[in-house]
Amino acid sequence: MKSLLPIILLSVFLFSCGEGIAPEPIKQTGFSGSVTFVGDWPLGVTRTHIVVFKDPLLTAGDFNAFNLKFVSVEIPYGSTVFNYNSADTAVVPIGEGEFSYVAVAQQKTLNVSLNRKDWFVVGVYYAGGDTTKPGKLTIPQNTLVRGININCDFNNPPIQPPGG
Amino acid sequence: MKLKIFFLLIIIYSAFTIAQQHNITGSVSDSSGNKLSNANVIIVEMDKGASTNEEGYFEIRNLQKGVFKLKISMVGYKTEVFDVEIAEQSVHVDVILEKEAVETEQVIITANKYEQDVSELPVSAAVISTEKLLRKNFTNLEDAMRYVPGVSMTSYQISIRGSSGYSRGAGTRVLLAYDGIPFYTGDTGEIIWESIPVTQLERVEVIKGASSSLYGSAAIGGVVNVVTKKVSDTPTTYFRSLVGIWDEPHYSEWKWADNLRLFNSLTLSHSRKIGDLGIAAAFSRIEDMSYKQSGFYHRYIGYLKAEYDFTESSSAILFFNSLNQKSGNFIYWKDSRNALIPPDQDQGQTVTTNRQMLGMIFKQIINRNFFINFRGSYYRSDWQDQTESANSAITHLIRGEVQFNNLLSDKIFLISGIESSLSSVTSDIFGNPTSFGFGTYVQSEFKFNFPLIATLGLRYDITKIDTLELESAISPKLGLNYKINEKFIMRSSLAFGFRAPTLAETFTSTTASGITIKPNPKLKPENNFTFEVGLLYKPFSELNLDVSVFQNEFYDFIEPGVDRTDGLIFFDNVVRARIQGAEVNLLTKLFDEKLIVSVSHTYLWSRDIEKKKSLKYRPRNFSLISADYLLRNLLIGTDFKFWSKVEEIDFDLIDLGLVPDGENRVAVYVLDLRASYNLVAAGLPLRINLNANNVLNYNYVELIGNLAPIRNFSLSLELFL
Repeated sequence: MKSLLPIILLSVFLFSCGEGIAPEPIKQTGFSGSVTFVGDWPLGVTRTHIVVFKDPLLTAGDFNAFNLKFVSVEIPYGSTVFNYNSADTAVVPIGEGEFSYVAVAQQKTLNVSLNRKDWFVVGVYYAGGDTTKPGKLTIPQNTLVRGININCDFNNPPIQPPGG
Repeated sequence: MKLKIFFLLIIIYSAFTIAQQHNITGSVSDSSGNKLSNANVIIVEMDKGASTNEEGYFEIRNLQKGVFKLKISMVGYKTEVFDVEIAEQSVHVDVILEKEAVETEQVIITANKYEQDVSELPVSAAVISTEKLLRKNFTNLEDAMRYVPGVSMTSYQISIRGSSGYSRGAGTRVLLAYDGIPFYTGDTGEIIWESIPVTQLERVEVIKGASSSLYGSAAIGGVVNVVTKKVSDTPTTYFRSLVGIWDEPHYSEWKWADNLRLFNSLTLSHSRKIGDLGIAAAFSRIEDMSYKQSGFYHRYIGYLKAEYDFTESSSAILFFNSLNQKSGNFIYWKDSRNALIPPDQDQGQTVTTNRQMLGMIFKQIINRNFFINFRGSYYRSDWQDQTESANSAITHLIRGEVQFNNLLSDKIFLISGIESSLSSVTSDIFGNPTSFGFGTYVQSEFKFNFPLIATLGLRYDITKIDTLELESAISPKLGLNYKINEKFIMRSSLAFGFRAPTLAETFTSTTASGITIKPNPKLKPENNFTFEVGLLYKPFSELNLDVSVFQNEFYDFIEPGVDRTDGLIFFDNVVRARIQGAEVNLLTKLFDEKLIVSVSHTYLWSRDIEKKKSLKYRPRNFSLISADYLLRNLLIGTDFKFWSKVEEIDFDLIDLGLVPDGENRVAVYVLDLRASYNLVAAGLPLRINLNANNVLNYNYVELIGNLAPIRNFSLSLELFL
């Protein structure tokens, strides 16, 4: 029995280690909706994304990677309607929280750039039909917020955030 | 405990000689009369020697008349040193080595650039025998480093006592040397572990602590020196075949492939002497389908070593090493539910690599107290990403070093040298920069009678990296080794180190996996100051206890970080860091030396002094337990590895959403089992090695978003002809 004790202790220790890292539960937190494009797509656009910023874009410096909390997959060039769900269309996924600026932005540079001047906003999410200011997006935990629809009128672009 | 009887029989008799050319020949065997192969035999004054062949026979040719100090060593046996006189004729020596109960008298060459016993060093060191590498079925030296006390690995990047965190593709703080020749890439300054042909190594030496006073930049955190096998006197052929399989992932969500995930390797080598020319050649093909999507690789390693004695006082060794590899490009997982596949945009990416190293060591013996070594190397590196960014780079790195070795008296050994390197890069990721380095060093070892060994060293380096300002550094060192009595040996060292930024750290400009890296042409070298005190305690022959405490102060530490003004990653001299710690190593042999148990624990308290938090990717505690039991020709063993949960990681990358679930990390518990059966005693020149690694199938990460190897099984056959 005495000689078995170290083996028993070792076995208890090893099996108490658990299995280590496990898959996270499926996340339901996010938002969905559709993006509608009106007019002819501009020439030379290399990428188009839905983007979400945590804090309002009051200065050019607010357009930075740390304030950027969601980036969708690329919206195909020439699309007229793009239905999305942040859970399965994210390059940068989003979590719960309150977000100040939801928009569709385009870029014409060859490589991805995070410089503000390289981006042009073609559509902004407005809450409750109020087009005087960007709408806030609030995502509670384990909730999919639906109906975050954005209209992009190439003939009537929205007010650009500072630094453009 | 039964005392071991020490035998040393030296039978000296005359042999036929050729005029003016005298040889020392002989045989080495153990106390049971078994001939010992691969024992090291050197003439201490001239650093000239040979290793014994399969019959335990050795020969050192072309010697003048005189009295020579002959040193015979082998892992597991007590080193013997004695004088041999060559008068008019050649000399034959038969030596019987006493089996060493505890492996303390291992020979090491890296610490002071000449052969010494580990117990005589002023710094902590470790030696890994090739025997162990092969029994564990390793095909890559990187895997073996995970089982060295005081060493931790984050993905493929090595950290000795916390010297490094993780910065992909941008340098190391540990110098890898190939028989003393620095072996790192000219662009990224990285160690390419997969280039090393593990079957061709005699041993691997690890020096823990700043070694810039001899090795210059990149040795700021220590040195790993791979010592290749000497060419065999008799024709020797070796064949190794290995097959393995990755088990199913623990969770069904992680299963991504329907077929079996296999890995395999084949190695064929031959070594022989033709007159004064000795040649060893090896070729390996290694394939791994990987447990991760895009983790696969196909690898070919070529190796050639030629030894030639021009005259009785001059000899040369020529190396050639090549690596050709095509691999997937797994950087981070998609998320924890898809832990074994990369993000959608990274799928299908591959990297093609071609690297060739040509090295030469030339030795000229001026007289029996003075000899010169020249080490030169050319390293070409060519890699291309088949990724969105389509990066590529071709690098040429040329190095040269002249080392003067002078035995001033029986008690003073002086070495000095000059070293220079030049690298040039043509790439679309770093631009086309060049770098130049020059260093000169001097070191003296004093052996006093008490017995105390004192080492004093100093090195001066200048570095010019393309458009950066010329930088210089002075790296002094003081080491003491004091044998208090037969049971206690105390050591202490104090050293300054430095590391110049690599071209990659300075000039990288690329985007990969959504991460954009920008250059920083204002980078400066980083510096450190390291101090260590150690005690080796041998209360009786079956027990060996080594304890050390150490402190490492870093200044202008180069670390990757995120520029919060633009969200881009860049390297900067940002951290004033301190690492304090202790390491305990215990080795014991039980049941008439049939059971060997080693236990080691390292405690690391690393911190960023300014931010008052731990440094990234440094576990605070890590332990290794290893046990081997010999049952006739069957050796069974186990290794258990523990690392505490890493406190600091790349939280910036997680905040940026680039590594979903990247914060998931745990303490590490890995258990390996192995068995080797040696059929040589049964008349077959064959050894079979069976390994089961991570048998608990424990899921952990060393680097965020990278699940470490899951449970796998492998079987190898080694044929010795």
